[in-house]
Amino acid sequence: MVHALSEIRRVLVQKGILIDLRPMSEERRVEVFSTRETREIGDATVLPRELDDNVAANQAMTTAKSNGWFTRESEEFFPIHYVWDSPKEMEEWIETEWEDFIEIDEEIKQAARSAWALGDGDTRVRVKVNMLITRWIKKDRSLNEY
Amino acid sequence: MTLIKDPEKNETKKLHKAVDFAGKRVLEIGCGDGRLTWRYASASLSTIGLDPDKDSLRIAAIDHPSDLDDKIHFVNAEAEHIPFNKETFDIAILAWSL
Repeated sequence: MVHALSEIRRVLVQKGILIDLRPMSEERRVEVFSTRETREIGDATVLPRELDDNVAANQAMTTAKSNGWFTRESEEFFPIHYVWDSPKEMEEWIETEWEDFIEIDEEIKQAARSAWALGDGDTRVRVKVNMLITRWIKKDRSLNEY
Repeated sequence: MTLIKDPEKNETKKLHKAVDFAGKRVLEIGCGDGRLTWRYASASLSTIGLDPDKDSLRIAAIDHPSDLDDKIHFVNAEAEHIPFNKETFDIAILAWSL
């Protein structure tokens, strides 16, 4: 990762901008919702690989910063949703696409199915993912680069 | 199986809030199938999508909006070996890829 950041710095112009956009790993909240109401069902379990990836990414950016490659200008957290028509579709998708990153306990699956079955006609299910967007600026060349 | 990702388009809003793409040369690292690329590329001067996965790039090449033909190019490469000269881009985006 640090080598990738070094490469990015190389191809950026002076004062060029690096945008780091990625999900945070602290929670993945399952919600059942309709136009009338939203019910928070519970949090999925974040697996070690997801946590490790986030730690590694943070360490790489810390190294890039301490090397004087980039300066952090701003950062902002925000949520995005993954939405499915039914809990079954959500479960299938997570088991195939996110199998290395999160899992949902049986208790939460059951609660989601029940809430969905008892919900309004437009009831769907979603997972909320917290995102972080950080804006970095490439720092001027250090003297030893000339 | 129907999945809608980010129906509120929060990701797009935050990306455009973080950076002005107008007239800029953009490199997106980890562009995958181009899902995020389509959301800003029209505002840029030019955009290069970089990804090590050939299958994802094939989908991106097929799915890209036709009005972006002249602006977008996809390159199969790793972020550790970016096949461009130094100081080529104004903006780099790490899209879920660090």
